[in-house]
Parts: sequence; structure tokens; C-alpha cells
Amino acid sequence: MQRDKFFKEIENVRHPNETLVKTHCSYCGMQCGMNLRVNTLTNKIIGVEPRYDWPVTVGKMCPKGVTAYQQTNHDDRILKPLIRDDASLKGTKEGFREASWEEAYDLIAKKFTEMQKQYGNDTLSVFSGVSMTNEKCYLTGKFARVALGTRYIDYNGRFCMSSAAGGFLRSFGVDRGSTLPWTDIHETDCLFIAGSNTAECHPTSMFRVWNVQERGGYIIVADPRETPIARRADVHLDLKPGTDLALANGILNLLIQNGYADEEFVNQHTNGFEETKELVKEFTPEYTSELTGVAPEKIIKAAEIYGKAPNAVVMFARGIEQQHKGVDNVSGYTNMALVTGKIGRPKSGVATFTGQGNGQGGREHGQKSDLLPGYRKITNPEHVKEVCQVWGITPDEMPEPGVSAYEMFELMEEKTIRGLYLLCSNPAVSAPNLNFVRKALKGLDFMVCADFYLSESAEFADVVLPTVTWSEDEGTVTNLEGRIIKINKAQEPLGESKPDWQIQAELAERLGKGKYFSHLKTAKDVADEFRLASKGGYADYYGATWDKIDKQDGVFWPCKDENDQGTPHMFLDKKFYHPDGKAKICALPYRPPAEEPDEKFPLRLTTGRVVYHYLSGNQTRRIPFLRDMCPEPFVEVHPETAAKYKMEHEERVRLFTRRGEAIYKVKITEAIRKDTVFVPYHFGHEQSINLLTIAALDPISRMPEFKACAAQLEKVENAEMKKVQ
Amino acid sequence: MTKKRLYLELENCIGCRSCLAACTQCGGHEERNRNYVYDVNPLVNRQTMPLMCLHCVNPACARSCPAQAIQIHETGAVLSALVEKCIGCQNCTIACPYGIPKFDTEQNLMYKCDLCIDRTKDGIPPMCASVCPSNTLQWLTDEEIENKKQQFNLDNGKWVTSLPYLEGETNVKVNLPGILQGVTKLF
Ligand code: SF4
Ligand code: SF4
Ligand code: SF4
Ligand code: SF4
Repeated sequence: MQRDKFFKEIENVRHPNETLVKTHCSYCGMQCGMNLRVNTLTNKIIGVEPRYDWPVTVGKMCPKGVTAYQQTNHDDRILKPLIRDDASLKGTKEGFREASWEEAYDLIAKKFTEMQKQYGNDTLSVFSGVSMTNEKCYLTGKFARVALGTRYIDYNGRFCMSSAAGGFLRSFGVDRGSTLPWTDIHETDCLFIAGSNTAECHPTSMFRVWNVQERGGYIIVADPRETPIARRADVHLDLKPGTDLALANGILNLLIQNGYADEEFVNQHTNGFEETKELVKEFTPEYTSELTGVAPEKIIKAAEIYGKAPNAVVMFARGIEQQHKGVDNVSGYTNMALVTGKIGRPKSGVATFTGQGNGQGGREHGQKSDLLPGYRKITNPEHVKEVCQVWGITPDEMPEPGVSAYEMFELMEEKTIRGLYLLCSNPAVSAPNLNFVRKALKGLDFMVCADFYLSESAEFADVVLPTVTWSEDEGTVTNLEGRIIKINKAQEPLGESKPDWQIQAELAERLGKGKYFSHLKTAKDVADEFRLASKGGYADYYGATWDKIDKQDGVFWPCKDENDQGTPHMFLDKKFYHPDGKAKICALPYRPPAEEPDEKFPLRLTTGRVVYHYLSGNQTRRIPFLRDMCPEPFVEVHPETAAKYKMEHEERVRLFTRRGEAIYKVKITEAIRKDTVFVPYHFGHEQSINLLTIAALDPISRMPEFKACAAQLEKVENAEMKKVQ
Repeated sequence: MTKKRLYLELENCIGCRSCLAACTQCGGHEERNRNYVYDVNPLVNRQTMPLMCLHCVNPACARSCPAQAIQIHETGAVLSALVEKCIGCQNCTIACPYGIPKFDTEQNLMYKCDLCIDRTKDGIPPMCASVCPSNTLQWLTDEEIENKKQQFNLDNGKWVTSLPYLEGETNVKVNLPGILQGVTKLF
């Protein structure tokens, strides 16, 4: 399926006493194919071999993927449950002792039961993540609602994909991250890429991206920084952080004014055109330039290229989504495709670069505060009934919707929530406004953390449960195309670690809810129940059996039954998922970032990734090669700005905002705007940039504005002098 | 088996250093990497490029070796120093026009790119070209390389992309940055 010109039949190297286990990378949404090399004498993972037969990535991997196997047998693995008896040590690594699973389960069951008796079911919360299989994500939603009976469950996708989800739902009525398979990308004529540092965050897309230019096509990049992809772009729209919506409106205006609107498509398949046309009129190149800081000529050129291109794909990522108008930005850029009709056919469409490995699947099946499996709504009685039938509970037993990830910390602070079960996430690094979040975690009565390394967040826990890495369990993941793929087990769990689904089933038993979970003995059992629970929802996985995934090189959802091969291209019939079958062109008034620079804080701070690290860095900072390549964060500063502040390359300086401060090494580079500084977010403790970021949330997606806030720089000696005075 | 070669398209490099990470994974590499990736002008922009052994047809490294520790494989790959022969004089590191051979002071032994001979002797691409996400490093037939050279051949006074060779004939083929200057746009 979808084998293209990059695909070559290549044999793998096989060493003596080794077998290769086909699987995918543990990290980003690209989910590159890889073979894990397993020593057949020790049954341990010892290395990696490219997976040339995976059609999306044909053997390619970034350095994270190449070294991912080193996670499994790493010295830092937690091998037994840990209990900390002295709560005064919370917030440190100290005081943990090894315990048996029995003791850990007993303690958790006792605490959870006592707390719920005293404060009600909703005193407990579950904070989850999407760097794990669909089966685990699905069961976590059921665990929270059925085993714990709490409304408070949410997940780290609120810091990642929730704006894309919100925007797609509004524009298309469905949230599938890409409307087309990645094997189409290199065949298009124009890529319009906004807020994606593709070369560092989704590197294995790059051979397709560059091929567009090799064929004579165009790449347009909107980014405040001259990232490796922006450096080679035909047009680099170097906008101020947080001004995307103005740029999107400005380009849409030019597309309409210059006759690039596809009237037939707009009339037959969309709503909202006239209203939007009126709204964007104001966004002339000059006005757009004033708001965004991008030269008018560049805006005109970008609009002309996108307008003229026979086929084009609009792509974006966290740069536009991690804003307090992230949903509007997504719908704003999506408007370009809807107005010009460049969607619903091969080689044209809209895609977001999913951040986490299972950022797509993990958001569809009930870890979000208001969602149930199959992308059902917990507020829709019909949907609740359908899921209750699978779960064996009655609709009145189904908890109400909860609140979003960041808002859970607010509820912890005010003691509405007193207990936390944390898994697959490290919010003590990845959440915004960390001084507040860390205080909330420290103030909890009781916290459990399930992880395979002792993360910065685990430092706040009373009990730490050892989970397995991705290579010690099996299940499905949905990659950034919306393709359901299979992760395979290459090694038995290290030490006493267990997969999350097993831990949750066993814990449910202790909590007296065994009858809802005891039939789930293997990952496959969970998979079968999960497919059934998604059946009939619009993210329908029922037909995506493990067999079919294997035979077809993955299955694109929706896939409704045995005979359905899945849906690589969305909307080929020009039918969108709103009740009237039409897409929505959205009229979106511009709003500036929540916090604009001023005299005290004249710089714009933006954050992001480097190629060597993944998310909070809990995994990648432990891998020697990756750590050596990027051992600590830095602040990128333009040479003119550095000169103004009298700062040298590599000097340590203090960066601060209204919420926090940190010391960073200066990295001088012309590849950033003069009014903007950048810091990567993968680092813990006192060097977390999220100590400084703002928790201004998008009204729809509840996504915090990681990408823009007001900051100031200062030389360390000046800061120290002030302290002395 | 059609002969394939390592081909470099320097314009494409995104500086991810996956080639370095992957080099450690080839059998017989003792988990040490054997190539280099340079930041061309780090204070200015993000341009990077790999610096690889070009597997010279008449390699200066091997010629300079007084102990004949550097063997040339029948595929043309210029191999890493033989442990039993290398005397640690480091002549090769000086002789190579690109400074490719690395030196292990503890073992008193030179080590360099062997073109992943464990793989390439059977026509399997080397690790670096297998993983390179940007197609800076590719494993191609002579015909494919010829097509690339023609497509990207450019000498417009400003950019020269395809030189016959840099310093003498090499088994690895290179296109210098600038290839896009010669591409005809679709529209
Ligand atoms: S981190 Fe992403 S791009 Fe890198 S190897 Fe893993 S899946 Fe591929
Ligand atoms: S793997 Fe490729 S893109 Fe990455 S640094 Fe090496 S040559 Fe450059
Ligand atoms: S590039 Fe240097 S190390 Fe490689 S074969 Fe030529 S002389 Fe030897
Ligand atoms: S060809 Fe093999 S040995 Fe040479 S640099 Fe590439 S990966 Fe390393």
C-alpha cells in the first residue's frame, strides 16, 4: 500500500544470535518504522536496524529514533514500586524505598478509598499522556471513570494537540490530523508550513519536503525563527510570535481579492464564505505587515504562490497551536485550503504535525475531560449510552465532564482535587507557569506516579509504580497521518515493571471494580474491547484489526468493519462531517497575544524543541548521545539585541517574566527576530523555561500560550548586584 | 547486484546528526561514530553539512601509512586501520585532505569510516545513508547519480554544484550546496 518512489526493496543485515522485531519509534508522531535488534541468547534489546519496508519513512530515523532502544535496559529504569513515607521530602528525589506491588497496591487502594469517602469521588484525578498505545489510552479513560468514578481526567495533549483538534472539528466537523497520507507530500506543488520547525521536530518528513523543491515546487514557511527549513524556503514569513491569525487573514484576503477563490467549491461544499470575506478585507498587506512584522512583499508573494499552485498542502504545528487563539489559528490557516478548494483530493489538503507518538489516537478515545471512546461526547446521552453498554455500567454511573489539564492544577490548589494518579506525562516540566503547578503538586494529599524513569513529576509522588517502555508491550498507535500502526513487543518487562493497562486492571480489582476489568488479561484483550468501544463513533477503529494493520502497512481511520480498508484520503467525496456535509470557512477576528511586550518586558519569549530531545526530556536527557549533543538549554538572541544588552555568545544571563526566571547560556544567532528570544523546553528543575511561560488558555482547546509572552534579559552580574542592594 | 555508491547532496543537510548516531550501530564500529557534521556559520544561520570520508580511488591516508594498515576493499571502500598493523603514527590523519581519520589515543589506533563494509559488501546501504532524514546522504546506482548530476549541474558564475572531483577521484560522489539555483520552477 502507498509504496512510492522512495521505497526500495532492501534486505536487512542479520547478525548471528540476533533477531529483528519490527516496530516503530517511541517518540514523535512520525512513528518511523524501525527494527529492534534482540539478542537471542539474553533476550535483551541491543540495538536498532533500519526498517526499509515501512512506506512512510523507508528506513529513515532522526537521532532520537536511532538511540531510542537505549531506553529499555537503561540503568535509570525503576525496577520495583517505590514508596515514600516522609511526605516532607516531596518535591525531591529523596526518601523513596523499594516496596512490593502488594504493598504499593494496598497503600493506594487504602488512600484512594479513604479520600473518596471523606471528600467524594471527584477528589481524585487522573493526569495522563499520549506517548502510549491506543489500548492504554483507552483503558486510562475507563479506569478514571469506572474504577475511580471521578470526573477529573485529562491529559498532556492539552499542551500539544488540543488546538489542532478544536480547529479541525470547527472547520471540518472531524479531527483527523492529516487529510492525506504522507506519501502525497512530496508530490504536491506548494507546501505552506506555519509554526513547524519540521527539520528538528519531524525530521523524517524532510526528504519529502525537500523533494517538492527539487521538482520545482515551492516551500513557504511562517516562523519567527529561521529554522533549517525556513533557511531554504522560497518565502520565509518571519512573523512576530503570536500573530499568526493576522497573517492567515492577510493571506486569505489576498487569495480572495486576486481571484484564487474556487467559487464552485465554496458554494457547494462550504458555509461562512461571505462573512469571512468581509472580515478579512481589513487585512491588507500593509495592515497585516503592521501586526505581524512581515514585509508586505513577502505576504503578497506567499499568497500568489499558494493561489497559483495546482496542488498545495497547508501544514502547521505547535507554533500556531500553542497560543491562546490556537484554535482560531488552525481554522484561519485551514480557511486557505477551503476557499481555494485545495482539499479533498490527492496531493492537496491540510495537515498538522502531531507532536507525540500517539497524539492522534490518544486524543480520540476518552482521556480528554469531555470525550469517550470513538471521539464520543460525554455530554451526549446517546454517546454515553453506547459506551456504557461496552463498559457494563449504567448511564447515571458515568461521571460528568471534568476540566482541562491546566485547570486541574487550579483545582488542586483550591483542594477540590486532593489526589492524583499521574501516568505517561511529566507536567512538572511541561506545564506552563511551573511555580504554580509545582506548588499544586506538592500540596496534594496523595499522589501516585506511574513511569519507567523517576521524572521531575515523580519527585512529587508518594508512590511510584514502575511501568514498561514501549518496547516491552504491544498495541496500536495512530501516527500523524491518521494511520493506525502496530507496536510490537521485543523484550520481557525489565525488573518488576508492568504495562499501564495491567496496573490499572489490578488496581481496579483492589478498588472493588474487578468485574469491569478482570477479563483484560493481555494487551490484545484490551484492543478488542477498545475497538468495540470505538465502533459507531466517528473515530471508528472497529475494522482495524491487528491482522489488517500488519497486512496493509497500517489502517487509516475511519475503518468501520472487516471489509473496510480504511480511509487514506479524507473528503474525496467532498463530504465534510458537519451535519449538512459542508465545511466551515471561519470568520476570525484578530486578537494579539495575551501578554504583549511593554517597557519592563520588551522582548517576546517563544519556546520549542531541539532535534535531540523529546517533550520534557525525561527520556532523551538520559541517552548519552542525545545528552552530549544538547546537554542544557540556551537562549537564542539576535546579535543586535545581544549587543544592546552587552551580552556575549555563551555568557550566562538571567531571563525573566512576570511569573518566573531562569539562567541560560546565550546563543547568538541571526536566525531569530530582533524582538524575540527562544528557549527549548526539554529541561527540568531550575532550568525549565516553563517557569516563565504564561497560562493564558485558549477558550476552546484550553491550550496554554507557550509560544508567546513578554520577557526581559539581564546580565547575571547586574541581577546579583540588585540582590545585594 | 548493481554497484551502488554513497552520494552526498550537501544542500539538504538539516544538522540532525542522525548520521553520527547511526554510525555507532554498524557491526564492528564499537559504537563509535566515524563522520563529522559541521555548523557552517553558527552565529549566522543554521546551515550544516556532513563531512564524510570520500573513499578516494588513490587514498592519501593509505599511501601515507608506513605499516600498510589501511586496506582497500574490492568494493573500493577504504577500510579502517587493521588493529594488528596500525602503529599509531597518525600519518593518515595528516595526509587525508579532509581530516577524516579519527584517533583513539587509549588504543593507539586510527579508526575511520569503512563505508559500513559489513553492509555495503552485500549491497545494503551504510547506516548513515539509511537513516539520513533529509536525503543528504543517499545510496545510489551510477545511473541515478548521473541523473542527479545532470539535473543539478550548474555553473552560473555564482554557484558551482558539480565538480568532477574535489581532490582526485573518489568513490563517493558529491553535489555541493546551490543545486536549487538551477531548478526550473513548476509555475
Ligand atoms: S523521534 Fe520522530 S522523527 Fe525521530 S525517529 Fe522517532 S518517530 Fe522518527
Ligand atoms: S543525518 Fe543527514 S541531515 Fe542529519 S546531519 Fe547527517 S547528513 Fe545532515
Ligand atoms: S577521504 Fe581521507 S580518509 Fe577517506 S579515503 Fe580519502 S584520504 Fe582516506
Ligand atoms: S558509511 Fe558507515 S562507517 Fe562511514 S560514516 Fe557512514 S555510517 Fe559511518
